[in-house]
Parts: sequence; structure tokens; C-alpha cells
Amino acid sequence: MRLRWKLTVASLKMFTRQKEAIIWTMLLPLFMVFLFGFVSFEGLEPIRIGVAGAKDEQAGRLVGRLGEVRTVQVTRGEESSELAQLKAGKRHLVLVLPEEFDPAGGSELRVLVNDGKPEETQLGLVILRKVLDDATFEMHSAPERIPMTIQSVASRRSSYIDFLLPGVLSLAIMQSGIFGVAFGFVSLRKRGVLRRLSVTPMRPQDFIAAQVTMRLMVLLAQIVLLVGVGIVFFDLQFMGRLLDLFAMGLLGGAVFLAIGFFLAGIAKTEDQVVPLANVVSLPMMLLSGVFFSRSNLPEPVRLVTEFFPLTYLADGMRSIVLEGSTLPTLWLQLAGLGLWSIVSIWLAVKVFRWE
Amino acid sequence: MPPVILAVNNLCKRYGELVAVDRVSFSVHRQEIFGILGPNGAGKTSTLEMIETLRPIDTGMVMLDGLDVQKHPRQVQQRIGVQLQAASFFEKLNLTELLLLFGELYGRPVDPLKLLGEVDLQDRAKAQVDQLSGGQQQRFSVAAALVNDPLLVFLDEPTTGLDPQARRHLWGVIRRIRSEGKTVVLTTHYMEEAEELCDRVAIMDRGRIVADAPPQKLIGDLLASGFKQARVERLASLEDVFLHLTGHALQED
Repeated sequence: MRLRWKLTVASLKMFTRQKEAIIWTMLLPLFMVFLFGFVSFEGLEPIRIGVAGAKDEQAGRLVGRLGEVRTVQVTRGEESSELAQLKAGKRHLVLVLPEEFDPAGGSELRVLVNDGKPEETQLGLVILRKVLDDATFEMHSAPERIPMTIQSVASRRSSYIDFLLPGVLSLAIMQSGIFGVAFGFVSLRKRGVLRRLSVTPMRPQDFIAAQVTMRLMVLLAQIVLLVGVGIVFFDLQFMGRLLDLFAMGLLGGAVFLAIGFFLAGIAKTEDQVVPLANVVSLPMMLLSGVFFSRSNLPEPVRLVTEFFPLTYLADGMRSIVLEGSTLPTLWLQLAGLGLWSIVSIWLAVKVFRWE
Repeated sequence: MPPVILAVNNLCKRYGELVAVDRVSFSVHRQEIFGILGPNGAGKTSTLEMIETLRPIDTGMVMLDGLDVQKHPRQVQQRIGVQLQAASFFEKLNLTELLLLFGELYGRPVDPLKLLGEVDLQDRAKAQVDQLSGGQQQRFSVAAALVNDPLLVFLDEPTTGLDPQARRHLWGVIRRIRSEGKTVVLTTHYMEEAEELCDRVAIMDRGRIVADAPPQKLIGDLLASGFKQARVERLASLEDVFLHLTGHALQED
């Protein structure tokens, strides 16, 4: 026990003194969070409407009304130049007013719409219709409108960072498990360190236990770091319990560490480790719903990704972080990871080579 | 004569068709410096690795301090110190930390400074292995072989690749280890090293031991058989010139 502890402490020392290790396990995930956290993928773009044609008072009032709508940006210009902007994708709609614009009726408007942006275009048309109707109502004695009272309710604001952070956390756990162990272990073997250890009375399982303990401690640090940064810098709404996150992370970590040892067993040199690790990790990184929801995937692909260990881990962690789920409700993810850990540990033991 | 501490009897090792070690027998006495000489591929390292528990023994027997190596590998490991060819240590730990950690592997406390002093590295205590010169690295790996205060120290080609000063420095360290009551078994393919350092040498060729005696006796026997060197004996060698010009007792190599 004392030996295992001493070996763990020594491994931690080696880990923390290794710049690359810190960069890969701590800084890179942080970088991803900062990079994507400040980029907004969600929400509609402001709706850009160009107005061409009449420049009289009525036209001016219409433009004023449009400008009052918060999501609309209005520009005025000649028809030709506005059309050019529309083609360049810089307008969603171009409204062409007739020479004599009369909201009371009798004049016909033309609207050119951007085919490439159907959502913004649709919304823009609705807003335009409404503004025109308002103008018309003002002219005629309009029927009474149904009154609305508007009351704002504070809601859980789920932003992309809330989705992203648990995903990046799972990704970081996978990467440091697979790459850290596989590369580190092959390098120790290749450089003869393991050979030197094997002439001492130390048993290999003591060394493995220390390596695993060290990696799991790093994993907990990753969780604390990323969740902490999320809360402090991105106003992350952390709904769950840290302990549940730890438990889910450790189970996932066990799977990926075992995969790392498995790869270390089948790779002969460091040069072979990296492509092998990429073959295993890249599909998961891209398809396990780390950065984007899996619901956009084609159905057969989505079905396969359902069974990826990273999918179980990312879904589980996201559910804990966003919905405050507790472990018993995440039985599917736990079972999935449990099964994976049995399979991967079995494989790792099967191909394990000290020398 | 001091008691036998290592007895190797009819040791064999095969790799497929190749017989790497072929019925090798020898014994080493306490506090001896015993050299195994031979060209590359003669089977020196394989022989050593079987004795050190690193490689399974095909047939034959090794008794070390009265223990059968095959039956009691753990007890044997407690009694031996090993320096391997082309083995290295953990990166990012300094010499002191490495020695303390190796002490833990044997479950015993270690005085790193004293050990480093034995190999003249006390002033590099906080350095990491990759910051040491070749000679210093070899001396450090000798220090690491001493953490468990072993009865027997195995050094596999400890001076290969070192310059003459570094080599002489290591010879001094090895003699010091012996003077502390330890037994040293080393391999080398430098004849002058064997002649200078070893009390007794076994010469190996193609897996077999072809001679086993003190160096002076082997030389005497050869001369008695009427051997004459082709060249006229010189009173100094090029190595002597080199050492004379670059300094004999350099501490920093």
C-alpha cells in the first residue's frame, strides 16, 4: 500500500512537471471552451431588410416603424444596389416601394427574398406584414384589437456553453485516458524504464495501480477545473451534484484508461500509438455529440453512435450538469459505461505486455 | 578463498534456432570483480539476464547466495543490484527523487546523498538524468543499482561509449564498491578494462565459455604456449597519450 502510494505521488510529480501533459489535459479543453463559448451558434441573425423606391414621408414612417422592431436592421438604398446586397447574402429581404407609396391602399409592393436564409426570410415577411398592417390600420378606423398583457418570466437560459462544456469535459477525459496512458506506457517500455523496474521486487500490478490512480486524480482535477471555469466565466448553470459528476467521470475514465492500456499492448512503438489512438478516438470525438447534438446525424449513424462509450459519458455528464440528474436516473449511461469497462479491461489484460 | 556467492551451472538459452547460451558454468566468489568478456552476440547479456531474473532460464541452474534463482526470484531481487544496458529512468524526477523511489521499490529507506557520493554525483543531486553527461548517467545507474545495499552488483557493459577519463572514473567507483564488501559481475568488450579491473574473467564466444581464469594467468598461459605479438611492444599506448594530454583525474566527465 505504501509503495503504491509512493508510486502514485511520484507519477503525479512527473505528470505535473511535464508541460505537454498539462497542455493536453488541462489547457486544450479550456481553450476549446473559451473558443466555442464566446462564439454564438444559436439564435437568429438580425433580420436585414433593405428598402428601395419611394423616399417620401410615408416611406420614411414605414422605415421608422420597421427600425423599432428589435431584431430588424433596416437600410435604404437604390433598388439595384440593394439587390446586389441581397445576392451577396447581406440582406434577407429587399422591399421595393412604388413611386407613390400610400399605406391606405392602392399601391403594390414588391419583396425580394433571400433563398438561402429561409428562416430569417420567413420571420422578416411576418414582421413586414405586421408593420404594413399597422400602418394601414392607422389610416382606416380599425377594428379593436385583442389586448395582450405581457409578463416576463425568468427562465433557465440554456446556452451553447451549457451544452458544450460537459461534452468537452467528456472529451478531455477520453483524450487524456487514451493518449496519456497509451503514449506514456509505450514510451516507458521503449526507453527501458519498465525493464529496469522489473529487476526490482516491485510487482507490475503496483505500478499499474499507481498509474491508474494518478490518471483518475488528474481526471477529477479536469472536472473541477472545467466546471469551475464554466461557472466563473460563462455563467454555467450547474444543476447537478459534483459527486455524481465525479462518479460518472471515474467510470468513463476507467473505460478510456483501459482502452489506453489496450492500445499500449498492441502498439510496438510510440509512432504506432498515435494513429491507433486516433482511429479509436476521432469517430467518437466527432460523432458522440460532444460539440453538436447527435439528433442531426443520419439515422443509421445516430443509432451506431448511441453505443459509443463517449456518447454514454457525454450524455450522462450533460444530463447531470444541465438537468441535475442523479445517478439512478442515468442507469442507461452507467450500464453502458459499465459494460464497456468490462470489455475494455478484459481486452487490455489480454494484450498487456510489460516488455 | 572467500565463499562462492554465485554458482551458474549448465545454463542454456535458445532463441528459435539460435543457441545464445550454451551450457555455461562458472562461479563467483564473494568480493570478487568478475568479468564476462566476449564479442557482441557472444551471449554475455543473455547469461546475465537469466541470472538477474529478467529472462526465463531454458535449462540449467543458478544459485545466488544459496537461493535458486528460478524458485525464489523475489528474494534474489532483494539481494542483487542491476545496471542494464540501454535502460533508462523516469523523466522529470531528479536524482534524489529517483533514488528515494527506487528505495521504496525495495521497501527500504535510502540516503540519496550518500549513494550519490559513492559515485561522485553529490553535486548533481537535483539534476534530472537527461541533464547528465554519458559518464554521469552510467555512474548514476550504478548508484541506482546500490539502493538496496546488494550483495552482488551486475553491470552490463558499464563503460561502453564512454571516453577514457569517464571510463577510468567508473573503474574507480567499481573498485570502491568492491572495497565495501560487495561482489561485482560485469560484462565488457574492452580487454584493457578487464585486465585492469577484474580479478577473474570468463571469455565467452558463441554462447560458450572458452576460458575462465585471472587475466594475468590467461596472458601467462598464452605466452608460455610460445605466442609472440606481431608488433613490437611499446612502452606507451595512444590511450596513455590521450590521458596524458587531457588530464588523468578529471572529476567532471
